[in-house]
Amino acid sequence: MSPDTTASQLCVSLRNLSKTFYNNGRSLTALLEVDLDVRPGEFVAIIGPSGCGKSTLLRLVGGLLSPSQGRVLIRGRSPQDAQKEKEVGFVFQDPGLLPWRTLLGNVALPLEVNRRARRSDPADAMPLGKHAGRRGTASHQAPSPRDLLALVGLAEFEGYYPWQLSGGMQQRAALARSLAFGPSLLLMDEPFGSLDELTREAMRYELLRLLQGAGGEGHPIRHGGSPTAWEPWPGRAGYERTVLFVTHSIPEAVLLADRVVVLSSRPGRVVADLAIDLPRPRPPSLEEERDFQSYTSRLRHLLREQAPEPHALEARTPGHAVHG
Amino acid sequence: MRTGPSPIPEEGLEEGSGPTLVGRLLVPLGVLAGAFLLWEAVVRLRDVPIYLVPAPSAVFRRLLEEPGYFLKAGLVTLQEALLGFALGSAVAFLLATAMAHSRPLERGLLPLAILVKVTPIVAVAPVLTVLLGFGPLPKVIIAALLTFFPVLVGGITGLRSPPAGALDLLRSLRASPWEVFIKLRLPSSLPYLFAAFKVSITLSVIGAAVAEWTGAAGGLGRAIWLSYTDLNMPTLFAAVLVLAVLGIGLYALVAVAERRLLFWHESAL
Repeated sequence: MSPDTTASQLCVSLRNLSKTFYNNGRSLTALLEVDLDVRPGEFVAIIGPSGCGKSTLLRLVGGLLSPSQGRVLIRGRSPQDAQKEKEVGFVFQDPGLLPWRTLLGNVALPLEVNRRARRSDPADAMPLGKHAGRRGTASHQAPSPRDLLALVGLAEFEGYYPWQLSGGMQQRAALARSLAFGPSLLLMDEPFGSLDELTREAMRYELLRLLQGAGGEGHPIRHGGSPTAWEPWPGRAGYERTVLFVTHSIPEAVLLADRVVVLSSRPGRVVADLAIDLPRPRPPSLEEERDFQSYTSRLRHLLREQAPEPHALEARTPGHAVHG
Repeated sequence: MRTGPSPIPEEGLEEGSGPTLVGRLLVPLGVLAGAFLLWEAVVRLRDVPIYLVPAPSAVFRRLLEEPGYFLKAGLVTLQEALLGFALGSAVAFLLATAMAHSRPLERGLLPLAILVKVTPIVAVAPVLTVLLGFGPLPKVIIAALLTFFPVLVGGITGLRSPPAGALDLLRSLRASPWEVFIKLRLPSSLPYLFAAFKVSITLSVIGAAVAEWTGAAGGLGRAIWLSYTDLNMPTLFAAVLVLAVLGIGLYALVAVAERRLLFWHESAL
Protein backbone atom coordinates (compact mmCIF):
# COMPACT_ATOMS: atom_id res chain seq x y z
CA MET A 1 0.00 0.00 0.00
CA SER A 2 1.34 3.37 -0.92
CA PRO A 3 2.34 5.50 2.06
CA ASP A 4 0.08 8.38 1.05
CA THR A 5 -3.03 6.27 1.38
CA THR A 6 -4.97 7.92 4.16
CA ALA A 7 -7.67 6.39 6.22
CA SER A 8 -10.37 8.34 4.43
CA GLN A 9 -9.36 6.89 1.09
CA LEU A 10 -9.67 3.39 2.43
CA CYS A 11 -13.06 1.84 2.56
CA VAL A 12 -12.38 0.02 5.80
CA SER A 13 -9.44 0.57 8.10
CA LEU A 14 -8.91 -1.47 11.25
CA ARG A 15 -6.08 -0.53 13.57
CA ASN A 16 -4.93 -2.54 16.54
CA LEU A 17 -8.46 -3.82 16.93
CA SER A 18 -9.21 -6.05 19.93
CA LYS A 19 -12.43 -7.27 21.40
CA THR A 20 -12.81 -8.91 24.78
CA PHE A 21 -16.13 -10.14 26.09
CA TYR A 22 -16.81 -10.20 29.80
CA ASN A 23 -19.33 -12.54 31.26
CA ASN A 24 -19.80 -13.32 34.94
CA GLY A 25 -16.31 -12.20 35.83
CA ARG A 26 -14.73 -14.27 33.08
CA SER A 27 -13.27 -12.74 30.00
CA LEU A 28 -12.85 -14.05 26.52
CA THR A 29 -10.69 -12.33 23.96
CA ALA A 30 -12.20 -12.90 20.56
CA LEU A 31 -9.95 -10.64 18.52
CA LEU A 32 -6.45 -9.43 19.25
CA GLU A 33 -4.66 -6.50 17.65
CA VAL A 34 -6.06 -6.87 14.19
CA ASP A 35 -4.86 -4.51 11.48
CA LEU A 36 -6.67 -4.62 8.19
CA ASP A 37 -7.16 -2.23 5.30
CA VAL A 38 -9.74 -2.67 2.61
CA ARG A 39 -9.56 -0.47 -0.46
CA PRO A 40 -12.70 0.73 -2.19
CA GLY A 41 -13.95 -1.84 -4.67
CA GLU A 42 -12.20 -4.76 -3.04
CA PHE A 43 -13.85 -8.05 -2.19
CA VAL A 44 -12.14 -9.34 0.94
CA ALA A 45 -12.98 -12.76 2.33
CA ILE A 46 -12.20 -13.53 5.96
CA ILE A 47 -11.62 -17.13 6.79
CA GLY A 48 -10.48 -18.92 9.90
CA PRO A 49 -11.16 -21.78 12.28
CA SER A 50 -14.55 -21.69 13.93
CA GLY A 51 -14.67 -19.49 17.00
CA CYS A 52 -11.80 -17.34 15.78
CA GLY A 53 -13.75 -14.11 15.92
CA LYS A 54 -14.61 -13.71 12.23
CA SER A 55 -18.17 -12.72 13.00
CA THR A 56 -17.01 -10.48 15.85
CA LEU A 57 -14.77 -8.69 13.36
CA LEU A 58 -17.68 -8.11 11.02
CA ARG A 59 -19.94 -6.94 13.81
CA LEU A 60 -17.29 -4.47 14.89
CA VAL A 61 -17.04 -3.10 11.36
CA GLY A 62 -20.83 -2.92 11.21
CA GLY A 63 -21.00 -1.03 14.49
CA LEU A 64 -23.06 -3.75 16.20
CA LEU A 65 -20.26 -4.11 18.74
CA SER A 66 -17.81 -1.55 19.99
CA PRO A 67 -14.13 -2.40 20.21
CA SER A 68 -12.35 -2.98 23.50
CA GLN A 69 -9.24 -1.45 22.00
CA GLY A 70 -8.19 0.04 18.69
CA ARG A 71 -10.40 1.63 16.10
CA VAL A 72 -12.62 0.98 13.11
CA LEU A 73 -12.93 3.53 10.34
CA ILE A 74 -15.21 3.37 7.34
CA ARG A 75 -14.13 5.96 4.80
CA GLY A 76 -12.47 7.82 7.62
CA ARG A 77 -15.53 7.84 9.87
CA SER A 78 -16.88 5.72 12.66
CA PRO A 79 -19.13 2.78 11.75
CA GLN A 80 -22.01 4.55 13.48
CA ASP A 81 -21.60 7.62 11.30
CA ALA A 82 -21.25 5.52 8.18
CA GLN A 83 -24.46 3.73 9.07
CA LYS A 84 -26.32 6.91 9.80
CA GLU A 85 -25.67 7.72 6.20
CA LYS A 86 -26.76 4.23 5.19
CA GLU A 87 -23.54 3.30 3.52
CA VAL A 88 -23.30 -0.18 4.99
CA GLY A 89 -25.43 -3.17 4.06
CA PHE A 90 -25.52 -6.29 6.22
CA VAL A 91 -26.33 -9.87 5.25
CA PHE A 92 -26.47 -12.36 8.11
CA GLN A 93 -26.40 -16.13 8.06
CA ASP A 94 -30.04 -16.08 9.06
CA PRO A 95 -32.06 -14.22 6.42
CA GLY A 96 -34.03 -12.58 9.24
CA LEU A 97 -37.00 -11.72 7.04
CA LEU A 98 -40.11 -10.55 8.86
CA PRO A 99 -42.81 -13.18 8.40
CA TRP A 100 -45.67 -10.68 8.43
CA ARG A 101 -44.24 -8.75 5.49
CA THR A 102 -44.27 -9.77 1.86
CA LEU A 103 -40.91 -10.08 0.12
CA LEU A 104 -41.41 -6.60 -1.31
CA GLY A 105 -42.22 -5.25 2.15
CA ASN A 106 -39.11 -6.88 3.56
CA VAL A 107 -36.85 -5.43 0.90
CA ALA A 108 -38.41 -2.01 1.49
CA LEU A 109 -37.84 -2.17 5.25
CA PRO A 110 -34.44 -0.42 5.23
CA LEU A 111 -36.02 2.50 3.40
CA GLU A 112 -38.70 2.86 6.06
CA VAL A 113 -36.44 3.19 9.07
CA ASN A 114 -33.96 5.89 9.93
CA ARG A 115 -35.51 8.10 7.24
CA ARG A 116 -33.89 11.27 8.45
CA ALA A 117 -30.53 10.13 7.15
CA ARG A 118 -31.70 8.92 3.84
CA ARG A 119 -32.34 11.93 1.68
CA SER A 120 -29.45 13.97 2.89
CA ASP A 121 -27.45 11.67 0.66
CA PRO A 122 -23.81 12.35 1.44
CA ALA A 123 -22.50 10.70 -1.69
CA ASP A 124 -22.15 13.93 -3.62
CA ALA A 125 -20.57 15.84 -0.81
CA MET A 126 -18.00 13.21 0.06
CA PRO A 127 -14.40 13.55 -1.05
CA LEU A 128 -14.20 10.93 -3.73
CA GLY A 129 -10.50 11.10 -4.39
CA LYS A 130 -9.26 9.61 -7.61
CA HIS A 131 -12.44 7.62 -8.02
CA ALA A 132 -14.52 10.71 -8.59
CA GLY A 133 -16.49 10.55 -11.77
CA ARG A 134 -15.61 6.98 -12.58
CA ARG A 135 -19.08 5.85 -11.81
CA GLY A 136 -20.58 8.56 -13.96
CA THR A 137 -23.41 6.42 -15.27
CA ALA A 138 -24.50 5.13 -11.91
CA SER A 139 -27.48 6.89 -10.44
CA HIS A 140 -27.33 7.94 -6.83
CA GLN A 141 -31.04 7.52 -6.63
CA ALA A 142 -31.65 4.47 -4.48
CA PRO A 143 -32.99 1.59 -6.58
CA SER A 144 -36.60 0.60 -6.03
CA PRO A 145 -37.29 -2.51 -3.94
CA ARG A 146 -39.05 -3.99 -6.96
CA ASP A 147 -35.93 -3.58 -9.08
CA LEU A 148 -33.86 -5.20 -6.37
CA LEU A 149 -36.13 -8.22 -6.24
CA ALA A 150 -35.87 -8.51 -10.01
CA LEU A 151 -32.11 -8.28 -9.65
CA VAL A 152 -32.01 -11.40 -7.48
CA GLY A 153 -34.55 -13.17 -9.68
CA LEU A 154 -37.53 -12.89 -7.38
CA ALA A 155 -39.63 -10.40 -9.35
CA GLU A 156 -42.65 -12.66 -9.56
CA PHE A 157 -42.54 -13.47 -5.85
CA GLU A 158 -42.84 -9.95 -4.51
CA GLY A 159 -46.29 -10.62 -3.05
CA TYR A 160 -45.30 -13.85 -1.31
CA TYR A 161 -44.44 -14.20 2.34
CA PRO A 162 -40.99 -15.45 3.37
CA TRP A 163 -42.33 -18.67 4.89
CA GLN A 164 -43.80 -19.59 1.53
CA LEU A 165 -40.33 -19.69 -0.04
CA SER A 166 -37.23 -21.87 0.11
CA GLY A 167 -34.16 -21.03 2.18
CA GLY A 168 -32.19 -20.00 -0.91
CA MET A 169 -34.95 -17.66 -2.04
CA GLN A 170 -35.13 -16.15 1.42
CA GLN A 171 -31.41 -15.49 1.43
CA ARG A 172 -31.64 -13.89 -2.01
CA ALA A 173 -34.36 -11.61 -0.68
CA ALA A 174 -32.11 -10.77 2.28
CA LEU A 175 -29.38 -9.87 -0.22
CA ALA A 176 -31.78 -7.62 -2.11
CA ARG A 177 -32.76 -6.00 1.18
CA SER A 178 -29.14 -5.27 2.04
CA LEU A 179 -28.82 -3.38 -1.25
CA ALA A 180 -31.97 -1.33 -0.69
CA PHE A 181 -30.27 1.97 -0.07
CA GLY A 182 -27.35 1.46 -2.41
CA PRO A 183 -24.64 0.73 0.14
CA SER A 184 -21.03 1.14 -0.80
CA LEU A 185 -19.91 -1.46 1.71
CA LEU A 186 -21.55 -4.84 2.06
CA LEU A 187 -20.84 -6.95 5.14
CA MET A 188 -21.71 -10.59 4.68
CA ASP A 189 -21.55 -12.95 7.65
CA GLU A 190 -21.58 -16.50 6.29
CA PRO A 191 -24.55 -15.54 4.15
CA PHE A 192 -24.83 -18.97 2.54
CA GLY A 193 -23.89 -20.94 5.64
CA SER A 194 -27.35 -22.25 6.40
CA LEU A 195 -28.09 -23.37 2.85
CA ASP A 196 -27.67 -26.82 1.39
CA GLU A 197 -24.60 -27.46 -0.74
CA LEU A 198 -26.31 -27.15 -4.13
CA THR A 199 -28.12 -23.94 -3.28
CA ARG A 200 -24.96 -22.62 -1.74
CA GLU A 201 -23.03 -23.13 -4.93
CA ALA A 202 -25.75 -21.49 -7.00
CA MET A 203 -25.76 -18.52 -4.64
CA ARG A 204 -22.01 -18.01 -5.07
CA TYR A 205 -22.45 -17.49 -8.77
CA GLU A 206 -25.48 -15.36 -8.15
CA LEU A 207 -23.34 -13.09 -6.02
CA LEU A 208 -20.55 -13.09 -8.61
CA ARG A 209 -23.07 -12.05 -11.22
CA LEU A 210 -24.21 -9.21 -8.98
CA LEU A 211 -20.65 -8.06 -8.44
CA GLN A 212 -19.12 -8.36 -11.84
CA GLY A 213 -21.99 -7.93 -14.21
CA ALA A 214 -23.72 -10.47 -16.42
CA GLY A 215 -21.58 -13.57 -16.62
CA GLY A 216 -19.58 -13.75 -19.82
CA GLU A 217 -20.19 -10.15 -20.83
CA GLY A 218 -16.50 -9.55 -20.45
CA HIS A 219 -16.84 -6.26 -18.64
CA PRO A 220 -15.32 -6.71 -15.25
CA ILE A 221 -16.30 -3.76 -13.14
CA ARG A 222 -13.16 -3.62 -11.17
CA HIS A 223 -9.61 -3.90 -12.33
CA GLY A 224 -10.05 -1.02 -14.70
CA GLY A 225 -13.58 -1.73 -15.87
CA SER A 226 -14.99 0.77 -18.30
CA PRO A 227 -17.62 3.17 -17.04
CA THR A 228 -20.10 1.77 -19.53
CA ALA A 229 -19.95 -1.74 -18.09
CA TRP A 230 -23.32 -2.91 -16.90
CA GLU A 231 -23.42 -2.49 -13.16
CA PRO A 232 -25.93 -4.80 -11.67
CA TRP A 233 -25.43 -3.76 -8.08
CA PRO A 234 -26.99 -0.33 -7.88
CA GLY A 235 -24.78 1.74 -5.67
CA ARG A 236 -24.10 5.36 -5.07
CA ALA A 237 -22.50 7.59 -7.57
CA GLY A 238 -18.78 7.78 -7.13
CA TYR A 239 -18.53 4.76 -4.88
CA GLU A 240 -17.06 1.44 -5.69
CA ARG A 241 -18.71 -1.56 -4.23
CA THR A 242 -16.74 -3.13 -1.46
CA VAL A 243 -17.47 -6.43 0.23
CA LEU A 244 -16.26 -7.93 3.48
CA PHE A 245 -17.27 -11.56 3.43
CA VAL A 246 -16.94 -14.03 6.30
CA THR A 247 -16.96 -17.68 5.34
CA HIS A 248 -15.97 -21.17 6.41
CA SER A 249 -15.50 -22.34 2.87
CA ILE A 250 -12.11 -22.13 1.17
CA PRO A 251 -13.41 -22.53 -2.41
CA GLU A 252 -16.06 -19.92 -1.72
CA ALA A 253 -13.41 -17.47 -0.53
CA VAL A 254 -11.14 -18.06 -3.52
CA LEU A 255 -13.95 -17.93 -6.05
CA LEU A 256 -15.37 -14.65 -4.79
CA ALA A 257 -12.56 -12.64 -3.31
CA ASP A 258 -9.76 -10.37 -4.42
CA ARG A 259 -8.05 -11.02 -1.11
CA VAL A 260 -8.43 -13.70 1.49
CA VAL A 261 -7.53 -12.82 5.06
CA VAL A 262 -6.78 -15.78 7.31
CA LEU A 263 -7.43 -15.40 11.01
CA SER A 264 -5.78 -17.50 13.68
CA SER A 265 -7.75 -19.51 16.17
CA ARG A 266 -8.92 -17.62 19.23
CA PRO A 267 -7.93 -14.96 19.93
CA GLY A 268 -8.20 -14.11 16.27
CA ARG A 269 -5.36 -12.23 14.65
CA VAL A 270 -4.40 -11.87 11.03
CA VAL A 271 -1.94 -14.60 10.08
CA ALA A 272 -2.09 -14.34 6.30
CA ASP A 273 -3.36 -11.94 3.69
CA LEU A 274 -3.44 -13.63 0.32
CA ALA A 275 -4.21 -11.80 -2.91
CA ILE A 276 -6.29 -13.92 -5.28
CA ASP A 277 -5.03 -12.96 -8.70
CA LEU A 278 -7.64 -14.64 -10.84
CA PRO A 279 -9.27 -12.77 -13.73
CA ARG A 280 -12.86 -11.62 -13.64
CA PRO A 281 -15.51 -12.46 -14.57
CA ARG A 282 -14.98 -15.80 -12.96
CA PRO A 283 -16.85 -18.62 -14.67
CA PRO A 284 -17.78 -21.91 -12.96
CA SER A 285 -15.06 -23.66 -14.95
CA LEU A 286 -12.52 -21.67 -12.97
CA GLU A 287 -12.87 -24.07 -10.09
CA GLU A 288 -11.26 -26.83 -12.13
CA GLU A 289 -8.26 -24.77 -13.10
CA ARG A 290 -4.86 -25.28 -11.59
CA ASP A 291 -4.46 -21.68 -10.38
CA PHE A 292 -7.69 -21.93 -8.46
CA GLN A 293 -6.66 -25.16 -6.88
CA SER A 294 -3.24 -23.91 -5.91
CA TYR A 295 -4.92 -21.07 -4.04
CA THR A 296 -7.29 -23.40 -2.23
CA SER A 297 -4.50 -25.76 -1.23
CA ARG A 298 -2.37 -22.89 0.05
CA LEU A 299 -5.25 -21.66 2.13
CA ARG A 300 -6.00 -25.15 3.36
CA HIS A 301 -2.41 -25.43 4.44
CA LEU A 302 -2.50 -22.08 6.24
CA LEU A 303 -5.68 -23.04 8.03
CA ARG A 304 -4.35 -26.42 9.05
CA GLU A 305 -1.47 -24.68 10.79
CA GLN A 306 -4.05 -22.71 12.68
CA ALA A 307 -6.04 -25.65 13.91
CA PRO A 308 -4.90 -25.68 17.52
CA GLU A 309 -4.34 -28.63 19.73
CA PRO A 310 -6.93 -28.42 22.47
CA HIS A 311 -4.53 -27.72 25.32
CA ALA A 312 -2.47 -25.34 23.24
CA LEU A 313 -5.58 -23.18 22.94
CA GLU A 314 -6.14 -23.17 26.65
CA ALA A 315 -2.54 -22.40 27.38
CA ARG A 316 -2.73 -19.42 25.09
CA THR A 317 -6.07 -17.98 26.06
CA PRO A 318 -5.52 -17.00 29.69
CA GLY A 319 -2.34 -15.08 28.95
CA HIS A 320 -4.20 -12.74 26.64
CA ALA A 321 -7.63 -12.91 28.03
CA VAL A 322 -7.43 -12.51 31.76
CA HIS A 323 -6.75 -8.91 32.42
CA GLY A 324 -9.91 -7.92 34.18
CA MET B 1 -46.93 -25.69 10.00
CA ARG B 2 -43.69 -24.28 8.75
CA THR B 3 -42.44 -27.27 6.89
CA GLY B 4 -39.20 -27.57 5.01
CA PRO B 5 -38.17 -25.42 2.10
CA SER B 6 -40.74 -25.44 -0.61
CA PRO B 7 -40.26 -23.05 -3.50
CA ILE B 8 -43.83 -23.61 -4.56
CA PRO B 9 -46.06 -21.37 -2.52
CA GLU B 10 -48.74 -23.22 -0.70
CA GLU B 11 -52.14 -22.48 -2.13
CA GLY B 12 -55.41 -22.15 -0.37
CA LEU B 13 -54.46 -20.33 2.80
CA GLU B 14 -57.70 -18.39 2.61
CA GLU B 15 -59.78 -21.52 2.43
CA GLY B 16 -58.52 -22.46 5.87
CA SER B 17 -58.73 -26.09 6.85
CA GLY B 18 -61.27 -27.67 4.54
CA PRO B 19 -64.93 -27.43 5.53
CA THR B 20 -67.04 -24.30 5.62
CA LEU B 21 -68.10 -22.41 8.74
CA VAL B 22 -71.35 -24.41 9.01
CA GLY B 23 -69.43 -27.63 8.57
CA ARG B 24 -67.00 -26.72 11.30
CA LEU B 25 -69.78 -25.73 13.70
CA LEU B 26 -71.75 -28.90 13.05
CA VAL B 27 -69.72 -31.16 15.30
CA PRO B 28 -69.60 -28.98 18.45
CA LEU B 29 -73.29 -28.09 18.04
CA GLY B 30 -74.15 -31.77 17.72
CA VAL B 31 -72.21 -32.59 20.87
CA LEU B 32 -73.96 -29.76 22.71
CA ALA B 33 -77.41 -30.90 21.55
CA GLY B 34 -76.56 -34.44 22.64
CA ALA B 35 -75.56 -33.22 26.09
CA PHE B 36 -78.82 -31.25 26.47
CA LEU B 37 -80.85 -34.26 25.38
CA LEU B 38 -79.08 -36.50 27.88
CA TRP B 39 -79.63 -33.91 30.62
CA GLU B 40 -83.32 -33.62 29.70
CA ALA B 41 -83.72 -37.41 29.73
CA VAL B 42 -82.02 -37.85 33.11
CA VAL B 43 -84.12 -35.11 34.74
CA ARG B 44 -87.36 -36.58 33.36
CA LEU B 45 -86.62 -40.25 34.01
CA ARG B 46 -85.34 -39.70 37.56
CA ASP B 47 -87.96 -37.07 38.36
CA VAL B 48 -85.39 -34.55 39.62
CA PRO B 49 -87.23 -31.70 41.40
CA ILE B 50 -87.03 -28.35 39.60
CA TYR B 51 -85.53 -26.56 42.63
CA LEU B 52 -82.49 -28.86 42.39
CA VAL B 53 -81.79 -29.21 38.67
CA PRO B 54 -84.24 -27.91 36.09
CA ALA B 55 -84.56 -29.65 32.75
CA PRO B 56 -83.06 -27.76 29.79
CA SER B 57 -86.54 -27.35 28.38
CA ALA B 58 -87.54 -25.46 31.55
CA VAL B 59 -84.45 -23.29 31.30
CA PHE B 60 -85.14 -22.40 27.66
CA ARG B 61 -88.79 -21.76 28.46
CA ARG B 62 -87.74 -19.30 31.17
CA LEU B 63 -85.33 -17.66 28.76
CA LEU B 64 -88.03 -17.16 26.14
CA GLU B 65 -90.59 -16.03 28.68
CA GLU B 66 -88.67 -12.91 29.53
CA PRO B 67 -85.88 -12.44 26.98
CA GLY B 68 -85.67 -8.71 27.72
CA TYR B 69 -84.66 -9.35 31.32
CA PHE B 70 -81.75 -11.59 30.34
CA LEU B 71 -80.75 -9.37 27.44
CA LYS B 72 -80.61 -6.32 29.66
CA ALA B 73 -78.64 -8.13 32.36
CA GLY B 74 -76.33 -9.58 29.70
CA LEU B 75 -75.63 -6.16 28.23
CA VAL B 76 -74.73 -4.76 31.66
CA THR B 77 -72.26 -7.58 32.28
CA LEU B 78 -70.91 -7.40 28.73
CA GLN B 79 -70.22 -3.71 29.11
CA GLU B 80 -68.43 -4.17 32.43
CA ALA B 81 -66.40 -7.09 31.09
CA LEU B 82 -65.35 -5.27 27.92
CA LEU B 83 -64.43 -2.08 29.76
CA GLY B 84 -62.46 -4.11 32.29
CA PHE B 85 -60.77 -6.09 29.53
CA ALA B 86 -59.79 -2.92 27.69
CA LEU B 87 -58.56 -1.20 30.83
CA GLY B 88 -56.65 -4.23 32.11
CA SER B 89 -55.09 -4.95 28.71
CA ALA B 90 -54.04 -1.34 28.18
CA VAL B 91 -52.39 -1.00 31.57
CA ALA B 92 -50.78 -4.44 31.28
CA PHE B 93 -49.42 -3.72 27.81
CA LEU B 94 -47.98 -0.36 28.81
CA LEU B 95 -46.29 -1.94 31.81
CA ALA B 96 -45.11 -4.88 29.72
CA THR B 97 -43.52 -2.44 27.26
CA ALA B 98 -41.63 -0.72 30.05
CA MET B 99 -40.66 -4.01 31.68
CA ALA B 100 -39.57 -5.65 28.41
CA HIS B 101 -37.12 -2.78 27.90
CA SER B 102 -35.72 -2.79 31.41
CA ARG B 103 -34.71 -5.78 33.49
CA PRO B 104 -34.54 -3.78 36.75
CA LEU B 105 -38.07 -2.54 36.16
CA GLU B 106 -39.19 -6.09 35.50
CA ARG B 107 -37.55 -7.36 38.67
CA GLY B 108 -39.13 -4.54 40.65
CA LEU B 109 -42.66 -4.72 39.30
CA LEU B 110 -43.25 -8.40 38.59
CA PRO B 111 -43.58 -9.41 42.27
CA LEU B 112 -46.22 -6.72 42.63
CA ALA B 113 -48.08 -8.07 39.63
CA ILE B 114 -47.91 -11.59 41.05
CA LEU B 115 -49.28 -10.28 44.33
CA VAL B 116 -52.26 -8.86 42.46
CA LYS B 117 -52.61 -12.14 40.66
CA VAL B 118 -52.66 -14.38 43.73
CA THR B 119 -55.06 -12.23 45.74
CA PRO B 120 -58.41 -14.04 45.53
CA ILE B 121 -60.92 -12.01 43.55
CA VAL B 122 -63.77 -13.10 45.88
CA ALA B 123 -61.88 -11.37 48.69
CA VAL B 124 -61.23 -8.16 46.79
CA ALA B 125 -64.65 -7.80 45.19
CA PRO B 126 -66.66 -7.09 48.38
CA VAL B 127 -64.10 -4.53 49.49
CA LEU B 128 -64.35 -2.68 46.20
CA THR B 129 -68.14 -2.81 46.30
CA VAL B 130 -68.16 -1.34 49.79
CA LEU B 131 -65.72 1.35 48.71
CA LEU B 132 -67.13 2.21 45.28
CA GLY B 133 -70.80 1.31 45.54
CA PHE B 134 -73.21 -0.77 43.45
CA GLY B 135 -72.35 0.90 40.14
CA PRO B 136 -70.30 -0.60 37.32
CA LEU B 137 -66.93 0.74 38.49
CA PRO B 138 -65.96 -2.04 40.95
CA LYS B 139 -66.96 -4.64 38.32
CA VAL B 140 -64.81 -2.99 35.69
CA ILE B 141 -61.89 -2.96 38.11
CA ILE B 142 -62.29 -6.63 39.00
CA ALA B 143 -62.52 -7.58 35.32
CA ALA B 144 -59.42 -5.47 34.66
CA LEU B 145 -57.52 -7.15 37.53
CA LEU B 146 -58.25 -10.59 36.08
CA THR B 147 -57.29 -9.45 32.58
CA PHE B 148 -54.12 -7.78 33.72
CA PHE B 149 -51.77 -10.64 34.57
CA PRO B 150 -52.00 -12.86 31.47
CA VAL B 151 -51.61 -9.83 29.20
CA LEU B 152 -48.66 -8.56 31.23
CA VAL B 153 -46.80 -11.85 31.06
CA GLY B 154 -47.70 -12.43 27.41
CA GLY B 155 -46.66 -8.89 26.57
CA ILE B 156 -43.26 -9.10 28.24
CA THR B 157 -42.48 -12.45 26.62
CA GLY B 158 -43.79 -11.34 23.24
CA LEU B 159 -41.97 -8.03 23.15
CA ARG B 160 -38.76 -9.90 23.92
CA SER B 161 -39.41 -12.58 21.32
CA PRO B 162 -37.92 -11.08 18.12
CA PRO B 163 -35.04 -13.24 16.89
CA ALA B 164 -31.57 -11.80 17.41
CA GLY B 165 -31.04 -11.65 13.65
CA ALA B 166 -33.96 -9.30 13.08
CA LEU B 167 -32.87 -7.08 15.96
CA ASP B 168 -29.33 -6.98 14.55
CA LEU B 169 -30.69 -5.97 11.18
CA LEU B 170 -32.63 -3.03 12.59
CA ARG B 171 -29.68 -2.02 14.74
CA SER B 172 -27.42 -2.11 11.70
CA LEU B 173 -29.90 0.22 9.99
CA ARG B 174 -29.70 2.46 13.06
CA ALA B 175 -33.43 2.29 13.54
CA SER B 176 -34.71 4.31 16.49
CA PRO B 177 -36.09 2.46 19.53
CA TRP B 178 -39.55 3.54 18.44
CA GLU B 179 -39.00 2.07 14.96
CA VAL B 180 -37.73 -1.18 16.47
CA PHE B 181 -40.84 -1.26 18.64
CA ILE B 182 -43.37 -0.55 15.94
CA LYS B 183 -41.74 -2.51 13.09
CA LEU B 184 -40.45 -5.50 15.00
CA ARG B 185 -41.32 -5.88 18.67
CA LEU B 186 -45.02 -5.13 18.45
CA PRO B 187 -45.75 -7.49 15.53
CA SER B 188 -43.59 -10.20 17.13
CA SER B 189 -45.53 -9.88 20.37
CA LEU B 190 -48.94 -10.40 18.77
CA PRO B 191 -48.97 -14.22 18.95
CA TYR B 192 -48.23 -14.02 22.68
CA LEU B 193 -50.69 -11.20 23.22
CA PHE B 194 -53.49 -13.05 21.49
CA ALA B 195 -52.87 -16.17 23.54
CA ALA B 196 -53.22 -13.92 26.60
CA PHE B 197 -56.32 -12.17 25.21
CA LYS B 198 -58.04 -15.52 24.74
CA VAL B 199 -57.51 -16.32 28.41
CA SER B 200 -58.33 -12.82 29.62
CA ILE B 201 -61.50 -12.17 27.67
CA THR B 202 -63.29 -15.08 29.35
CA LEU B 203 -61.78 -14.17 32.72
CA SER B 204 -63.12 -10.63 32.35
CA VAL B 205 -66.67 -11.97 32.01
CA ILE B 206 -66.18 -14.13 35.09
CA GLY B 207 -64.69 -11.18 36.97
CA ALA B 208 -67.63 -8.92 36.13
CA ALA B 209 -70.17 -11.56 37.16
CA VAL B 210 -68.39 -12.38 40.43
CA ALA B 211 -68.16 -8.67 41.29
CA GLU B 212 -71.88 -8.27 40.63
CA TRP B 213 -72.50 -11.09 43.03
CA THR B 214 -71.20 -8.91 45.86
CA GLY B 215 -73.79 -6.24 45.22
CA ALA B 216 -74.95 -4.63 42.02
CA ALA B 217 -77.79 -2.72 40.44
CA GLY B 218 -77.92 -5.05 37.43
CA GLY B 219 -76.15 -7.68 35.40
CA LEU B 220 -76.09 -11.45 35.06
CA GLY B 221 -74.17 -11.94 38.30
CA ARG B 222 -76.91 -10.12 40.14
CA ALA B 223 -79.57 -12.14 38.31
CA ILE B 224 -77.82 -15.32 39.40
CA TRP B 225 -77.55 -14.14 42.98
CA LEU B 226 -81.21 -13.06 43.15
CA SER B 227 -82.52 -16.32 41.72
CA TYR B 228 -80.18 -18.25 44.01
CA THR B 229 -81.64 -16.59 47.12
CA ASP B 230 -85.15 -17.78 46.23
CA LEU B 231 -84.09 -21.06 44.66
CA ASN B 232 -85.42 -20.06 41.25
CA MET B 233 -83.31 -22.59 39.41
CA PRO B 234 -84.64 -22.08 35.87
CA THR B 235 -83.74 -18.35 36.07
CA LEU B 236 -80.37 -19.15 37.58
CA PHE B 237 -79.55 -21.67 34.87
CA ALA B 238 -80.82 -19.35 32.16
CA ALA B 239 -78.56 -16.57 33.41
CA VAL B 240 -75.60 -18.97 33.55
CA LEU B 241 -76.40 -20.01 29.97
CA VAL B 242 -76.40 -16.38 28.81
CA LEU B 243 -73.11 -15.87 30.64
CA ALA B 244 -71.63 -18.87 28.86
CA VAL B 245 -72.84 -17.65 25.47
CA LEU B 246 -71.30 -14.27 26.24
CA GLY B 247 -67.95 -15.87 27.05
CA ILE B 248 -67.97 -18.09 23.99
CA GLY B 249 -68.96 -15.19 21.75
CA LEU B 250 -66.18 -12.96 23.03
CA TYR B 251 -63.63 -15.76 22.78
CA ALA B 252 -64.73 -16.41 19.20
CA LEU B 253 -64.30 -12.72 18.35
CA VAL B 254 -60.75 -12.75 19.69
CA ALA B 255 -60.02 -15.98 17.81
CA VAL B 256 -61.31 -14.48 14.54
CA ALA B 257 -59.20 -11.35 15.02
CA GLU B 258 -56.22 -13.58 15.76
CA ARG B 259 -56.67 -15.58 12.57
CA ARG B 260 -56.91 -12.37 10.60
CA LEU B 261 -53.86 -10.71 12.11
CA LEU B 262 -51.61 -13.71 12.61
CA PHE B 263 -51.97 -15.31 9.19
CA TRP B 264 -48.17 -15.38 9.11
CA HIS B 265 -47.71 -17.23 12.36
CA GLU B 266 -47.23 -20.96 12.83
CA SER B 267 -50.44 -21.18 14.82
CA ALA B 268 -52.47 -20.08 11.82
CA LEU B 269 -50.82 -22.15 9.10
